[in-house]
Amino acid sequence: MDGMGNILWWLLILPVLVALISPVLPSARSALALVMVGVPLIALLALWAVITVFQAGPLLTVGGWLHLDALSAFHLAVLMVVFVMSSVFAGVYFRHEPPAHALDRHSARRFAALWYGAMAAMTLVLLSNNLGVMWVGVEATTLLTAFLICLHVSPVSLEATWKYLIVCSVGVAFAFMGVLLVAASIGAVSATDTHLLHWTHLQAIAGNLDKNLMKVAFIFLLVGFGTKAGLAPMHSWLPDAHSQAPAPVSALFSGFMLNMALYAIMRFLPLVASATGGSGWASNLLIGFGLVSILVAAVFIVVQRDLKRFLAYCSVEHIGIIALGLGLGPLGAVAALFHTLNHSVCKALAFFSAGRLGQIYGTHDMRKIRASLQVNRAWGTGMLAGILILIGVAPFAIFMSEWFLIRAAVESQRYGVLGLFLAGAVIVFAGSLRHAVGMAWGPRPASVKSVPSPVLEWLMVVLPLLFLLVLGLWMPPGFRHILESASVILTGGGTP
Amino acid sequence: MHGITDNIMAILMLINLALTLSSRLATCISLVAFQGVMLALLPLFSHEGLNPRTLFLAGLVVVVKGLIFPGLLSRAVRDANVRREVEPFFGYGTSILVGIALLTISFWVGIRLPLPVSETTSALVVPGAIGAILTGLFLLVSRRKAVTQVLGYLVMENGMTAFGLAVVPEIPLLIELGILLDVFVGVLVMAIMIWHISREFDHMDVDQLSTLKG
Repeated sequence: MDGMGNILWWLLILPVLVALISPVLPSARSALALVMVGVPLIALLALWAVITVFQAGPLLTVGGWLHLDALSAFHLAVLMVVFVMSSVFAGVYFRHEPPAHALDRHSARRFAALWYGAMAAMTLVLLSNNLGVMWVGVEATTLLTAFLICLHVSPVSLEATWKYLIVCSVGVAFAFMGVLLVAASIGAVSATDTHLLHWTHLQAIAGNLDKNLMKVAFIFLLVGFGTKAGLAPMHSWLPDAHSQAPAPVSALFSGFMLNMALYAIMRFLPLVASATGGSGWASNLLIGFGLVSILVAAVFIVVQRDLKRFLAYCSVEHIGIIALGLGLGPLGAVAALFHTLNHSVCKALAFFSAGRLGQIYGTHDMRKIRASLQVNRAWGTGMLAGILILIGVAPFAIFMSEWFLIRAAVESQRYGVLGLFLAGAVIVFAGSLRHAVGMAWGPRPASVKSVPSPVLEWLMVVLPLLFLLVLGLWMPPGFRHILESASVILTGGGTP
Repeated sequence: MHGITDNIMAILMLINLALTLSSRLATCISLVAFQGVMLALLPLFSHEGLNPRTLFLAGLVVVVKGLIFPGLLSRAVRDANVRREVEPFFGYGTSILVGIALLTISFWVGIRLPLPVSETTSALVVPGAIGAILTGLFLLVSRRKAVTQVLGYLVMENGMTAFGLAVVPEIPLLIELGILLDVFVGVLVMAIMIWHISREFDHMDVDQLSTLKG
């Protein structure tokens, strides 16, 4: 598939080009239009690449710098889904900003440039075959998204941005130590060739990597990329950044940036597993971090008052669930990937609803948001349904992926792990249900007027809900094939 | 055998110690820049020696770490109009003790790590690198000013560069350039953030950035 390899270059070049022309656009409206129209077009190109991978096998460019296999193609699809959703929503959201926060020409252009820049950096993380370049991509996303958090400059948004910048830069620097140690574990024999750190090359020689060095490396990688992924206890930046960023940016953070960091960890997982001779050492670490994240998030969810912080802790919980799935063998890996897609779609919807309800009520305090079903039917429905799906109400897709996870735990006879996971899930269920019911019904605040919902906003609520409902009731055979071929790479049976 | 490399690493460790007890921001900025330049020169004296690739990289690093970074940071300090200086949470006596402890730890760890360090690399490189990483972390958590946090990050990054030199002698050029670009943009973004913070808050004390909790 040499000819198709070029499409991968275009997936990187196009967003960079658009980012470069964004600063010279004539008006705020044109900048937002560019975001709403351009992203779906790039997504179509990506869709073509993804379909090619699942029909004809992995794509590799000349020189082997870019590579798209089942695992990265699956994540690329999730990335594009989240980006398209958030881009369209950004157009709606910024039109409804209160006058004090309205985007002027300058900040709209900055938003467009950084938005496309972030898209290019995240695509680079998924496409790069070289683990060093992948690290460069992860660090680049931190820097490009920092100013998206403080799009509206205020003391608290600056505080959130500073924490994000410092905590994630230092965290990702630790991951760089991990990458160096992986390179060191190759040994002196083949360390001089130009394919050093190419994933396809490392995978072929994974059995010969130095076992102890790979273990040290994986700890650095897990802590480093785990910081960016929001795994507890390295999640301190996450609730601040998610609550202060504008809603489309929060949706992008939760919907894909966290998953991108987990993807970076996933790339190293089969290498460590082969190097340690399949002893399950790395899996146990992932299970540990996953459980801690679920339980820590559960506690904070119960006591939370701010809607967007509540959703942020919810992301910590779900990232924990995905990490837990990754540690639970082949079935767990399928569950984790399925959960990745479900969580991204649902969390994007939840942040959209939180953003619009926040604009309508003028606050994110959940005690003041009441009767949202009456005040705005579309986003009130989106908020209620979104939270219910997130906490795993049947028959939606998140219930199904959590069900797979439970089966994976039972099959591998990890009853202790299962018990802790269920305990966390029950706490989250009870805590979140209280918030969801409180916001949906109750006495309507006198100061808040009803806001009608146009068709476009209804579509943005109904389409994700339908998608999650259908996936919860019926898994298309083609989709099952996609999940399985992606998870095979994680469990080490894949061919480069 | 490793005369020059040994000297460079010894200077690097001394700079780490000096950073833990220096009280003037301007001095700290110069020390970190000097450390970056020293590290940029290190590959020229290693086994690879002088060739277009190492010369090009070294030149680039000297410009970025030796000229651009100190310029950016000094400007941020000037614009923010910082009168008070470094302001550690601990006294300078404690700081220097911590600095010495970190140096000891880095030797202890550096010698025990089972790294495939080649014969041609000086034995001081790994301990020096770990020492710089630990010192950077200490500066990050123990200082009050936003600028000193950036300096801590840079010292940490210097340590990782040295570590990379010791364990992976030939990182592909593309990756080196990517890393340098990331660090460059990183410091640029942080400098802009400091400017915003000082304008919005009339200070740049990170311990007062504590509204967001829970």
